[in-house]
Amino acid sequence: MILRRDHVAGGVVVAVAAGVLALSGDLPIGSLASPGPGLLPILLAGLVLVLGAAVLLQAGSSPPFGDLQWPDLPHAARIAALIAVASLAYERLGFIVTMAGVLAILLYGVERRPVVPVLAISLGVPIGAYLLLSKLLKSPLPIGILGF
Amino acid sequence: METFDSLALGFSVAFRPDVLFYAFLGCLVGTLVGMLPGIGPLAGISILLPVTFGLDATKAVVLLAGIYYGSQYGGSTTSILLRIPGEASSVMTCIDGHAMAQRGRAGAALAIAAVASFIAGTLSVIALTFVAPPLARLALKFGPPEYTALLIMGLVFLAYMSTTSLVRTLLMAAIGLLLGCIGIDTMSGHFRYAFDLKELGDGIGIVPVAVGLFGLGEILSTVVKGVPEKVASPRFSELMPTRKEWRESIAPILRGSGLGFLVGIVPGSAHIISSFLSYGLERRLSRTPEAFGHGAVAGVAGPEAANNAASTGAFVPMLALGLPTGPVTAVLMAALLIHGVPAGPTLVTDHPTVFWGFIASMYVGNLMLLALNLPFVGLFVAVLRIPYVYLYPLIVMFCILGVYEVSHSVVDVWIMLIMGVVGYLLRKFDFDPAPLVLGLVIAPTLELSLRQSLVMSGGDWLIFFRRPIAATLIAISVGLLLVSAASLLAKQRSAA
Repeated sequence: MILRRDHVAGGVVVAVAAGVLALSGDLPIGSLASPGPGLLPILLAGLVLVLGAAVLLQAGSSPPFGDLQWPDLPHAARIAALIAVASLAYERLGFIVTMAGVLAILLYGVERRPVVPVLAISLGVPIGAYLLLSKLLKSPLPIGILGF
Repeated sequence: METFDSLALGFSVAFRPDVLFYAFLGCLVGTLVGMLPGIGPLAGISILLPVTFGLDATKAVVLLAGIYYGSQYGGSTTSILLRIPGEASSVMTCIDGHAMAQRGRAGAALAIAAVASFIAGTLSVIALTFVAPPLARLALKFGPPEYTALLIMGLVFLAYMSTTSLVRTLLMAAIGLLLGCIGIDTMSGHFRYAFDLKELGDGIGIVPVAVGLFGLGEILSTVVKGVPEKVASPRFSELMPTRKEWRESIAPILRGSGLGFLVGIVPGSAHIISSFLSYGLERRLSRTPEAFGHGAVAGVAGPEAANNAASTGAFVPMLALGLPTGPVTAVLMAALLIHGVPAGPTLVTDHPTVFWGFIASMYVGNLMLLALNLPFVGLFVAVLRIPYVYLYPLIVMFCILGVYEVSHSVVDVWIMLIMGVVGYLLRKFDFDPAPLVLGLVIAPTLELSLRQSLVMSGGDWLIFFRRPIAATLIAISVGLLLVSAASLLAKQRSAA
């Protein structure tokens, strides 16, 4: 049997729905006259499971999984990893330092842009955004250990 | 008379310099968002939502709605000049708009698109002015069973109108509803699926989910694509269509306006579907259908009018019923709620300055967009020359910044990242993420009204069939599901 795109998609959905149902064990369902907090989530998880199974059953008409193209995956993974690191650093290093780093890594490290525009954008945009949001719009941004 | 008095109140709000400024800002950003491939109105609105926290509800909704209908104007520029739809609803404009540009009529195509958008936008705001208030008065009679039935009908309509399959759309909506159950249960105080994270107590926010799925997800999926360096820039003097072109565009504009407004009221990706329907209608009515695909004026005027009218029509159920017809109106509803103003039937009575100020600002906004999109087209074309590799890092920065600012929580940034990866995978596996956002937004209302209905009926689920309005809405939902199932079976039989 050829593994098809919707075999994988439907399988993942069914597994996730089964996981949610397993996690819902301690939620009181109540009765129809007095529905508990577990009623709708359990009904929905059941619905997701049924619909996931429907996707799985109709998978025969979907393209083979092996035909899926992933040329953008390395690039996407780099961006996702960078955002993960930025999330960890955001409150520790502050807005300006974190965002300057994010922009510099994306523009220079990932996209290989020339140094001068990279420096101008990486420093200018975060400082400008900080001044606009923090000072003008009075929307507090994380300042971090460096004090800005 | 009452409507005109209320509209006068609205204009007194809309003409305030600060409201005018935010309407202009929304239109400007919307035009840019519509033009730039890879950033849709939903991502634009989601990213800019936190900027509105310091504003009052009127200015916030005027700014965000301006981005939505402004993007419908901007999308046509990229479609006509580059044959790349800046926005999904501009796909049809690519065909004949770009063909006109190749024949040296780029300026005329841009002018027809802008005028069609203006006329449709204005006509549909007039319709909105007169349709929404009586509908809201009717909705005041709705109790929990009617609301439950209405929300179910909204989801079924969404699945029925979806461009992907019924099962896939319902699946996405059900996952969204399930995500909406995370957090403290409002009726019992029970924690659900929060994994001891206090940040999840209030549930998963709409902003991190929307920015993740549509903003970051789009960047992860489209980052390898570049923007062509050479973009034609028509001069102002070249923008005037000929008398023949005007004549050929008037009827399609009027038909597109009516069709778009009606389709816009129905839940689903209305602004996208309406442009497809309008294109098909114009080709069918045309005396020269063979001209379509080769620069037919009606192929630009009709769809452009339809997508603008649909984006305004979508505000009818949002404002009058509190029913989001798509992810954009869902985010707008969330934005109003953040400012303490719930969208729905009580909006007209409890917050008349917000309701009428918003409607009046749309009249003004359409004028602003016409003024922006014609004389300054050269300026906007210059933006298209900025390489995408410089734009997307800035969008990533604004995604992180915008999501964090909602509740000053890094957990939201993680949710955005997870949703970004989910959005990337959903695109790979041909799932539309829009119903997921819709499900997430309506989940609290649906759960509350469902449970209230069951409590008030003493557990009798037939309550949904005993009350005439609820029964009608449920019957429509069942009918739509049966029609979809029948067409699916017919398709399978013909394939076999």
